[in-house]
Amino acid sequence: MRRLKNIWVFADKASSLAELCAGGRQLGENVAAVVLGGEETARQAIEQGADQVYWLGLKAEDKMLEDYTRTIAGLLEKHRPELFLLNAGRRTKVVAGRLAALFATSAITDAMQFVIGENGDLQIARLVYGGLAIRLEKPLSAMAIATVGNGVFKAAADGSNRQGTVTEVPWVEDGCRLKLLERRARDTEPVDLAAAARVVGVGRGIGKEEGLAMVYALARQLKAEVACTRPLAEGEKWMSPERYIGVSGTMIKPDMYLALGISGQIQHMTGVNKARVIIAVNKDINAPIFEQSDYGLVGDLYKIIPALLKSRL
Amino acid sequence: MKVIVCYKIVPEEANIEINQDGSLSFANAEWKLSQYDLNAVEAAMQLVEAVGGSVTALTVGDQKIENSKLKKSILARGPEDLYLVKDERLKRADTHLTAAVLAAAVAYIGFDLVLCGEGSSDFYAQQVGIQLGELLQVPVINAVSKITPAGDRLIIERTLEDEIETLELSLPAVLAVTADINVTRLPGMKEILAAGKKPVTEWDLHKIGIRHAGPRVEEVSTLAPEQVARKKILVEGDSEPKIAEFLDYIRKELK
Ligand SMILES: Cc1cc2nc3c(=O)[nH]c(=O)nc-3n(C[C@H](O)[C@H](O)[C@H](O)COP(=O)(O)OP(=O)(O)OC[C@H]3O[C@@H](n4cnc5c(N)ncnc54)[C@H](O)[C@@H]3O)c2cc1C
Repeated sequence: MRRLKNIWVFADKASSLAELCAGGRQLGENVAAVVLGGEETARQAIEQGADQVYWLGLKAEDKMLEDYTRTIAGLLEKHRPELFLLNAGRRTKVVAGRLAALFATSAITDAMQFVIGENGDLQIARLVYGGLAIRLEKPLSAMAIATVGNGVFKAAADGSNRQGTVTEVPWVEDGCRLKLLERRARDTEPVDLAAAARVVGVGRGIGKEEGLAMVYALARQLKAEVACTRPLAEGEKWMSPERYIGVSGTMIKPDMYLALGISGQIQHMTGVNKARVIIAVNKDINAPIFEQSDYGLVGDLYKIIPALLKSRL
Repeated sequence: MKVIVCYKIVPEEANIEINQDGSLSFANAEWKLSQYDLNAVEAAMQLVEAVGGSVTALTVGDQKIENSKLKKSILARGPEDLYLVKDERLKRADTHLTAAVLAAAVAYIGFDLVLCGEGSSDFYAQQVGIQLGELLQVPVINAVSKITPAGDRLIIERTLEDEIETLELSLPAVLAVTADINVTRLPGMKEILAAGKKPVTEWDLHKIGIRHAGPRVEEVSTLAPEQVARKKILVEGDSEPKIAEFLDYIRKELK
């Protein structure tokens, strides 16, 4: 594959920075990383693949990551890379969008693949229509901006002998700032659905929160993790957002996925359609999930789950 | 408070068909209001119900946005009037072009606050609101899960991956709200009938001073990925023998 000349990267997480530095190396001849964090992080970026580090220092307590947008814009304005990569997160999507507006371009979000053609053209792939299709897009502006999904690039194994420069960059007033009043950690649930061999997914068909008890029991019996559809995590808030599966949630590839009371809409199925076996229970024979399953049972969860529990499946 | 809420017309994903070559066919797709924009409409209505003011709806796109059912459907959710910026060049608008057109339109209409949804059901770039705010040079932020008016300012709560943030901002501003900021109301017959009588203003790009409407991103291809073939074995009914039949299949599979 041909390579671009100059790629810049920025991330709000150490693991993402490592991935983007490695991705930059893969796609470009020269990689510069903008680092917001300790001096150690700045040095690490060089080991991870950066040739130059533009170090913004430690984030100030009274600022948000987004308040560094103008500072980053100043650097990009001066150095004009062909591609600026950010990790895909809520904050970085703000930075990417504001930069896109400042440079009169679009930002391509949640990129899943980068291709450089024979003529040196860059093309970027992302999922569209809830995951129904992959769209290849070609940036037309001198600088392309993209946010990159987790795991699209693999961090480099060892770069302890790499050399590079670190340049300190002062913060630039950000214009229309929002005032940070308070910040508190969210109760997140550490769950690694992507690593689970078996997953039981539950959807709105469960009807009431009390119904989840039998789902958890069934999952225990099957030695499976429990997951859900987005409305169960967001609308109902019966499960934590870490547990919802789909194009905007977690994508999994288990050996078995058991879908209980899930209609099978594309946004959800995109997250599980690489499972080895998909099994579905739904009371509606016309539910789209049956078209996408290996085994389906048409019936009421409240009869079927207790029966499965009794059968010691 | 004068609130403008932006919404997008998108195809119903369930009706998009996949052609032999993997390309998509929209021939049988119904067009609908993008789901998460409805939360922005509801947030706007709740805000104005609390502090007074007005809610205006705005969309930009090609001729599809003129569909009278869709116009009624947005107005039935509460906005008192509707602006459309219609131009065939917007058919393949990217986020930059969309944001630029919205920026010009909201400047014409006048506003204290612009609300956008979390992301559109079709492309879900989650970009237009952010770019719009920056183009307008006003405070802009995403992931807003709560809005509390405080005089001429707003206090907002933002739900991020692992933290919750409380912020204060001055108006005018642009906010993108989360899909779970509220539960949307279904309009009743009365609201739907009233919607037909609300004022609708239609502009083209020329009217709002936009001459160049070129995208910054070009679509190369849109193709459905190859799917894993599924067995599609279906057992109908939840009687004991049926469940036993289903169990047999699963036991064999999970051995
Ligand atoms: C931009 C965007 C992104 C999205 N991203 C995601 C995502 O990442 N993940 C996701 O999951 N969703 C996502 N969604 C939402 C998605 O479109 C669907 O709304 C959602 O997946 C449906 O969830 P569900 O199957 O639980 O509910 P429903 O569609 O309401 O289905 C419930 C099913 O339960 C069945 N049922 C009811 N009662 C019983 C019973 N007693 N016994 C057996 N079956 C019963 C019904 O027949 C029905 O099929 C997204 C939407 C948008 C617009």
